[in-house]
Parts: sequence; C-alpha cells; structure tokens
Amino acid sequence: MIMRNVRLVIVSLALMLLLTIVVSWQLRSAAQRHTATDTYAITNARIVTVSGPAIDRGTIVIRDGLIAAVGANVAAPPDARPIDGTGLTVYPGIIDASTTLGIPRPSPTPGAAPGGLAALFASQAAPSATSPNSTQPPGMQPEILASDLIKPGGPEIEAARNVGITSAQTAPRGNVFLGQSAVINLAGDSPQQMIVRSPVALYVGLNPLGGGQYPGSLMGVFASIRQMLLDARRYQEANEIYERNPRGLKRQNYDKSLAALQPVIAGRMPIVMQADREREIERVLDLAKEYNLQMILNGGLEADRLAARLKAANVPVLLSLNFPKRTTAASPEAEPEPLRILRERVEAPRTAGRLAAAGVRFAFQSGGMTSITDYLANAAKAIDNGLSREEALRAMTLRPAEILGVASQLGSIEVGKIANLTITRGDIFDKNRRIAYVFIDGRPLDLRPTAEIGSRGPNASGTWSLTVNLTGSGNEKQEFTAMLSLQQRAERLTGSLQGQLGSGTISAGTISESDVNFTVPITFPGPGSQTTDAIFTGSLAGNQISGTVQIVGRGAGTFTATRSTVPTSAPAPTPSPDR
Amino acid sequence: MKTLMIIVCLIFLANVAGAQSPDRTKTRIIRNATVLTVSHGTLVNTDVLIRNGKIAAVGQNLKAPDDAQVIDATGKFVSPGIIDAHSHTMMDGSVNECTKSVTSMARTQDILNPTAIGIYRELAGGTTAALLLHGSCNAIGGLSTTVKLKWGHPAADFPIPGATPGIKFALGENPKRTNFNIPGLQPRYPATRMGVEETIRDAFARARDYKRDWDDYRAGVARDEKNLIPPRRDLELEPLVEVLEGKRFVHSHCYRADEILMLMNLADELGFKVRTLQHVLEGYKVASEIARHGAMASAFADFWGYKMEAYDAIPYDVAIMTRHGVVSSVNSDSDERARRLNIEAAKMVRYGGLTEDEALKLVTLNPAMQLGIENRVGTIDVGKDADVVVWSAHPLSVYTHVEQTFVDGELLFDRQADIARRAQLEAERKTLEAAESNKSPAQGGTPPRAPSAIRRAYTHDDDIQDGEDRRP
Repeated sequence: MIMRNVRLVIVSLALMLLLTIVVSWQLRSAAQRHTATDTYAITNARIVTVSGPAIDRGTIVIRDGLIAAVGANVAAPPDARPIDGTGLTVYPGIIDASTTLGIPRPSPTPGAAPGGLAALFASQAAPSATSPNSTQPPGMQPEILASDLIKPGGPEIEAARNVGITSAQTAPRGNVFLGQSAVINLAGDSPQQMIVRSPVALYVGLNPLGGGQYPGSLMGVFASIRQMLLDARRYQEANEIYERNPRGLKRQNYDKSLAALQPVIAGRMPIVMQADREREIERVLDLAKEYNLQMILNGGLEADRLAARLKAANVPVLLSLNFPKRTTAASPEAEPEPLRILRERVEAPRTAGRLAAAGVRFAFQSGGMTSITDYLANAAKAIDNGLSREEALRAMTLRPAEILGVASQLGSIEVGKIANLTITRGDIFDKNRRIAYVFIDGRPLDLRPTAEIGSRGPNASGTWSLTVNLTGSGNEKQEFTAMLSLQQRAERLTGSLQGQLGSGTISAGTISESDVNFTVPITFPGPGSQTTDAIFTGSLAGNQISGTVQIVGRGAGTFTATRSTVPTSAPAPTPSPDR
Repeated sequence: MKTLMIIVCLIFLANVAGAQSPDRTKTRIIRNATVLTVSHGTLVNTDVLIRNGKIAAVGQNLKAPDDAQVIDATGKFVSPGIIDAHSHTMMDGSVNECTKSVTSMARTQDILNPTAIGIYRELAGGTTAALLLHGSCNAIGGLSTTVKLKWGHPAADFPIPGATPGIKFALGENPKRTNFNIPGLQPRYPATRMGVEETIRDAFARARDYKRDWDDYRAGVARDEKNLIPPRRDLELEPLVEVLEGKRFVHSHCYRADEILMLMNLADELGFKVRTLQHVLEGYKVASEIARHGAMASAFADFWGYKMEAYDAIPYDVAIMTRHGVVSSVNSDSDERARRLNIEAAKMVRYGGLTEDEALKLVTLNPAMQLGIENRVGTIDVGKDADVVVWSAHPLSVYTHVEQTFVDGELLFDRQADIARRAQLEAERKTLEAAESNKSPAQGGTPPRAPSAIRRAYTHDDDIQDGEDRRP
C-alpha cells in the first residue's frame, strides 16, 4: 500500500512538473506573441466620453495604444489585462493647453557675468534656444521649434502626470518670437515618441529683450513685431518675383526667420499671444487684425470683458487656471492693497463661466503655476463660480484638442483615438478625488503622490545675516551688514533685505542647484543717498551663501550670508507690483 | 458670501453701466459763474450750456431744456480744461526705448493704459487733455499721442481724432547720457552734442533716400515696368518722411541755448519747422531766434538746477519768451505736477508779470495751439468741445480746488460725488479683504509693503532724467 501511495505521489509530482513546464511555456509564447502590457480592459467603470453621453457602467478596451472598444455592453477580450473599474470614473486624458513642459530651462550663459546694467536688464524670459545662422537675436527667432528642444521625463512632467494631465501644448521660452509649439504626450522614452503634432502655433510674446538690445521696451516690442511681419510679407513677394525670372534681378538674402513667418502671415498657422488685462487683450487683438493673423489668446484673465469681440473675431482663449492670490504675509503695519488687485483676485474664477455664457471657445491651461495640484482645484473653483461641469470638463479635454488641431486623435473617449485616459476614484472635480490610473498612449503610468517640484535639493529659504564687502575707493565705508529674508519656491527666490543697506525687495531671484542669483535695490547710509540695484551671484552650501555682488554705479564686491535661526519680524517696504 | 456676490455683481453692473450711461449726451447748464473764456475775456454772472458734448451757448440767463442738469456755479469760476503739453501719464512699461539712438518706429499709442489712476487725479486738478510723449533717451524718439483724459473709456477713445501726429526729439545730456553713471552699460553713440546733431542729420538723410526710393518705385509701377521689387518698408524712416512733408510735428526736448539754435538751424536746413521746444529752459536767451524760426515753447514754471544743463534756468523764462512773441505753455512732465498746472500758470504772474489772462492762456489756448487742436479746445466758445472745469475760486488762486471737470460734455470728475463715494469704497474694501483669495497664506508669505521713512509718491514717474525725485 505504501508503495502505491509513493507511486501516486511521484506521478502527481511529475504531472505537476509537466504542467508547470507546459504552462510556463505557454506564457512565454504569449509574451513573445504580443507584449502582455499592450492590451487592457477596464471593466465596470463609469465612462465620461465627453463626445457623447456618459456611460454609467461600461468597459473600455485598449489595444496598441488606441481605444479599441468602448461601451456598456463591450466584452473584455481574453488577451486583455483586466482592470476592475468598479467605483472608478474614466475621463479622456486631461490636456494642459499651454506649458513649457519638456523644454529644459536655459542654462545661465557663462559669458554673461552680471555686470551692472546689463544684468539689470537681464530678461526674466531667457530664450530656450538659439537658432544657428539666424538674422535675429535669440528671443526673436520664430524658426525655433519646440519639437527640437523637447527632452522626455523630468520632475515637471511627472508632477503633471500625477494630477492626471496626459498631454500638453508646449512652447519654447523667449521674448518676442518665442518659437513654434508642439502638442506632446507626457510619456515616452524619446522626444519622437512624445510628439503628437508639430508645429502647432507660433508663440508671440511682449517681453522686451535684455542686455541693452532692441527692443528694450513694450513700444519697441510692438514696433519690432510689425517690422518683422512687414519684412516677411516683402520676403515672400520679392522671392516670388525673383523665382519667376531671376535674370537681371538682385537676389534677396536668405532669411530663415522670415521664411518661418510665412505660414503665419498666410493665416495657415495661428499665433498665440499672452494677454491678461483688458487693454492688453485689446492691443493683441488690434495687432492680429492689423496683419490679418489667426490668433489664439493665452492667459485671458479679463477676457470676459471683451467676450463679444473675441466671439466676433472667432478667437479661442487658452484660459489660465493660475488664479491670482495673495502671497504676502499678514502684518498690522502692512499698507492696504489697491482695490483693483483685491477685485481682480475675487473676479478671476468667474471669467470661465462668463466666457462660456458668451459662447467664446476656451480651454484651460496651467498658466505656469508652481504647484500643479492647483490645476484641478482651480477648475473646481471656476465651477463654483458659474461654469458648468460639462463645460469645465470639455475645457480640459475636447476643446483644447480642437483648438490645437488634434481633435481626431485626443480629447474624448472614442474608438480609434489615442488611449490617453485619466481615471479617478470620485468625481474629477471633487476635492477628495484620487487619481487611480493615468494611461498615456495606451500604457498605464507609475503614479506617485505629488511632491512640490524642487522640494529636493538645496533650500535657500530662511533668514540670513548678510555681510557685504565693497572694493570701493577713498574713505567710504567698506563693510555693510543686513538681514536677508529669503523664500524659495521651486526655482524662484523672493524675499527682502533690511539693514545698513536700506530696505528693499528682491526683484529677480533664482536658484538652480546651488547657484543663487538675486537682485535687490539698496540705499547706502547717509543723507541724499540714492537707491541703486545690487546684483548678487553666489553659491549655497549648507547654511552659507557666498559670492560676488555688483552694485550699479558703485562697483563690485563680495558677500557672505549665514543662515540664522531667528526669523525676522520686521516687514520690509516693497514697491507695489504695478500691474 | 451672498453679500459678497451681490456687491461684486453691483460693481460689475456699475462698470458696464458706466460705459453706456446717458451721461455723455446729457444736456447741462452751468449757471451764474464767472466764466474765463480765454478767447474773449472774463464774463460775470454767465451761464454755459453744454449739449451733445459741445458748448452750445454762453451768455446770461440762458434758456435750458427742462431735463437739463443744472449746476449752480454762483460764486464759482469756469475755465476751459487745462492742456498738458508734456506728459507721460497712462503709459504701460517704459516710456523710453533706450536701446537705439533713433527709435521713430516706437509708438506711445501702443502702450496706453486707460486705467492709470493718474488720469483721474489729473482730471481732479482740471487737466482734460495731454500730449503723451516718448521719453528723452534718444536724439530721435518715438511717436507721440494727443489724448483727452477720458476716464472710464477704453483706450481707443483717448486719442483725439484728427489731431496732427507728433514725434519726440531730445537734445543734450539725456540722449548723450552724461547725467547718469551706469557702469557696464554698453556705450551708445552719440556721446556728445555734436553726435546728437549728426544723429538727427543722418536720420533725415536716410529718410530722404527712403522717400526717393519709394517715389522711384511708384513711378516705375506707373510706367508699367515689370518685375519691380518694392523697397523695404521701414517703420523707422516713415515718420521722418512725414516730418519732411510737414505732416508730423516735432516736439524737441532741449535746455541749452546752443542746442536750441542748432536744432532750429538744422530744421531750416532740412526743410521743416520745429513745432515745440520742450523744457527749453534757456529759451529766454534766444527768444527772438525762436520767434523768428516760428517754433513754440513749452517749459517748466520754476524747476531748475537739477542737472548742469538746467543750471541757467530762471522762472522768468516763459514770460520773456512770451514777450518776444513765442507762443508758450507751461507743462508738467510729471503725473504729480499735472494735477496743479493752474498754480504753475499762476507762478508766471509772479515771475515776469504776465496778466492773469496771459497766465491762464499758458495752460489752455497756447498748448491747444501747440498741439494743433485749437479749433476744438482751449477756450470757452460756442461750438467748441465741452472740455470745461468748474473751480471753487479763481483757477490762479492757491485756495481754489476743482468742483467738476467735463470732457466732451461728460462729467468725469465731481468733487462731491468723489467724497460721497468714499464710504461705499470702504465698505467694498472690507468685503473684498474678507474674501478667501485675498487672505494671506497660512504660512510663509513674503513681507508685505509697509510705510517707510521715504516713500515715492507715485510709482510711475515719467521722464525722471529731467530731474524728478529719484529716491524710492
């Protein structure tokens, strides 16, 4: 009897072994036939298609990066990886209609050591790239393509994905002609895998150039835009005449900037112009009308005041969700803020609802917000202030797809479209929603709890004891001390200075890795002393910053700052932002 | 929350309502005032009827329609609106395009800010129109805009239709940059007065060539020539061609007598007239020459010594030029001075003995003539635009203040209404400050602005190189 049992056991073991081998063989073949991660079926989920009525309980099948099937009665195919969608809602992937995602910040040029006024004039919007052999200075080169600059991955793209954003329009940074944007998916190992459409639109900005270069003022910016557009028209005319019969005619010099403007002046490529206040929006609308350009308005804080004009001109709006909010601390000695600013902050969330009521097409964009979690939170605020849920969702999905020319690929859950999906537990506009899954190009992504970008790395926030040593002439005092208060948010530094060098607020502060740069107005002690700008350049190590300082009109010197643990309580006077 | 919504709705409605209010076409009658017509003397116990934005009648015991708003001006004075012939109010961004020595392509009209509070404050000082100029950074600056201060209107309503366009020139220390020391700034030609002259001469030589190229092209097209490539349109040179053709006024910032003579001689050589010399603080030294050339002058009342080229300035400058037949005005070059140009004019009675009528002309009819708008404004005459100010006392008295200011017949400043509105604004402020988006962040937060020992009165200051207080 024991013999029979032993035989039974051996046979069972052998069978089990055989079965394991066979099964693993099968699995391996399956893996070789199609990647096990190519096909998904999300079952029993609420599906908000945006293009049609919502499906209370249905299934989506994703295959090969596209939506293969969607419906209440769709069966999950056997080779699909099942995802139980009970309690989940599936939305089309959120599109952020205007960003600089994927385009690295320009590294500070080594040659441009901050020298006096040159650095004072240093533009906040340093261009993303320089086009080779261009007739125009950097910042004014329309030939720059976002698609040439995109790098995959990075903390900003990750942070955007973590809140459910799956694609974005991204454009280079710059001054006047920033470059041509692209629509990208926020996943992919190479730029080529990310780009959905390029070029999309030419971004035109109203930021003067720095470093004493023309244009150095808003007036000059307008004049230079006009002149370039006129030159582009003439370039086309002249080349046409020349091409017909070159003999006897002097050739035009080749100009790739003017060549890049041709689709714009022909109306085939829209321009995106940033404007928030009513008068700014009027200016850009007038400019587009003057040269018969297709325009998309970027920003649009006060766009509701010009809703009728926007509708009549068929100008869509990329509405910023970066609502203004108060950033200064409370203080009993604080001067009251102007009514205009107080009103603006209260009015901002109302713009979307008013635009919808007036029939103006708009899409939401993040507006450069440093904390991307505000994107959905502010969209919810817009809903609280008169925007319907459907319009809000549309403004994050199908509308941006339409405006950016990718509506046949993105923006809604329809068979054949790219499988970009944002899947939430709870309604997407609900405060307590969680992002359960994000699919981009049919692949689910690793989601991490959102951390504020830049929270890793050296932190310059705090109160510092500053000592400045000037290499001056004569019997002027050489050493000055002050208290420096710094706040760091991502790569921006704000703060103030108070002490022997008067009081001032930091106007242009950046920190990148351990490189600290900031400019602050100072006043030397003594009667009749004028206020001038001091430009600090240093590096941060632990609780010490040291470096050089350039004082306009006074010369150069060195400084050291040591972090103290005693926070300053004296508020410093700051010039009010005149905007 | 509901109160907040109501109040904000009301504000929104008020804004909308303001834009469409019947205020513009309202008929008004100012009764029983002392009317300083500027053109035909002072009329006592006189009424002024305003209808459809124009001065419809001036006389005693006028008949007015029943629905006319009656303003009882017994004991009060009425004058034409003050015109500021040198202003940088309501401009966004920098008033200067400093990067080149010739920036005639820059236009002040591109950067108008109709919400600048300076506009309202100037109306409260009786100023109703202004010449908005480019700064004095360049030998040839940008294009100017002649505006009426139409508070509450969109930017497009401000420029005066039909006003002759202008351009700013600058001579002396500002364009050659000797009055401020900025190490590290790339040196820009010109650095001397000779260079300033040459810059202007060269620009006009290029403008002449440009005009000739286009004339040749147009002639070629008229002759039906084929395959002609048009010359490049150059936005810098086109305004200079307009100057040569007499279609654009030249307003030139200048101080020293030698540069004043230089410019007038240069203009004669090139074939145009300087329209106004601005600041022109040594104009008294060359008043006859200015009169002979046919230029007009717009100066400060008594601002002097703030830089070397202003050292020889005297407060009798305007009076002396006036006595030599130069049409002179007193300007502000400052958001702050533009609120009290009546006092600046009054100073010229003290310095130089101008009569009250002559002094009042310095800020009304004379600047209107300088800007080429004297057919519309500058005096109280039937048919002219109703740009009218009601004063509590004679406008040249230090005790006066403005009661009402009308522009094109619209009441844009009313002292009583302003005082009454303050309580409402306070209430609105309290509600707004309680709103969530106006609360300070829970933690962190940058230090807020707090009063300090030295405080700049106006954040936007104009042509500061002309000596404005540069302390913060």
